[in-house]
Amino acid sequence: MKYFSALLIAVLMLVLFISLQEIPLSQNLMPVSSHYVDSGVKDTGATNLVNAVLFDYRGFDTLGEVTVIFAAAAAFKMLFSHRRIFFFRYGMSPIVKTGMAVYSPFIFIFGIYVIMAGHISPGGGFQGGVILASLSILLTLVYGLWYKVRQTVLSPAISSNIESMGGMVFIFIGLAGIFSGNYFLSNLGAGFFAGIPGSMFSGGSIPLLNIASGLKVTAGLSIIFYSIAGGE
Amino acid sequence: MKPTLIFVLLIMSLGLYCVLVKDNLIKKALGINIMEGAVFLFLISYGYRQGGSPPILTGSETNIVDPVPQALTLTAIVIGAATTALMLGIIIKIYKIYGTLDTNEIRRLRG
Repeated sequence: MKYFSALLIAVLMLVLFISLQEIPLSQNLMPVSSHYVDSGVKDTGATNLVNAVLFDYRGFDTLGEVTVIFAAAAAFKMLFSHRRIFFFRYGMSPIVKTGMAVYSPFIFIFGIYVIMAGHISPGGGFQGGVILASLSILLTLVYGLWYKVRQTVLSPAISSNIESMGGMVFIFIGLAGIFSGNYFLSNLGAGFFAGIPGSMFSGGSIPLLNIASGLKVTAGLSIIFYSIAGGE
Repeated sequence: MKPTLIFVLLIMSLGLYCVLVKDNLIKKALGINIMEGAVFLFLISYGYRQGGSPPILTGSETNIVDPVPQALTLTAIVIGAATTALMLGIIIKIYKIYGTLDTNEIRRLRG
């Protein structure tokens, strides 16, 4: 079995190696990419082209991506709905708790910054959402699960609501495009504020979509961790 | 051909070997993650241009890296995280029911 698998993999990789030689290697960009690079700032108002592609040109794709996170979180809720094991009931030592109290505001502000400045600098809703989710996970590990259950902001019910709200906001921003007479998830055509490219308030609907997906990723990953760590 | 293609195929074959040969379910999940890493490296390396600057326009760039593979890789990373979490969750459930992570054992226990 081992040798057969190794042989199979070797043949497969040889086929891949030969077929991937067909990809053209030139310094020029592909037609689609060069259109994005040339007119991306004019079309979307965002200077971060990755976010322009993600939330404007391929916004529908990103809606599907957000739906996948929702599906994963929902499946986790279903799989671990009856667990009552509390791994981290009382949290860690006072030294770690004090250190975490010092660090957590900075992590929170950094996460918010990465989400809010996604259209003008590296980052965006998904990256910032992961940072905020890591803060939520750290708080659970350090202060214990009882702390998280007692807190109103961090409690699982609120996380579920935030996740649903993120998805709803995303879809409503998309629907605004239809009601203004354009296509679904249209950006500047739907009358969103364009601003000066490169400034904080620019990019039309891209910052709003960043915030929506950031909320969704934060809440979704928190729900996934919380479901594993111990039920409600 | 780019030199990274060799590394991509190497990482890919390591991950595939892990998925096919290892009996432990967690090792299989790790193998799928390694294969995902190979795909990310492939997309990013083929979107790269020699001496290119990141796709964040401040007005003076002339040689910019292709933004589309980066956006697709971002999508793939998020989907990969979601599927990995789901895989591990199902593995936890399997361990609770069967008491083992060995695929041969699991197959023997319930026809």
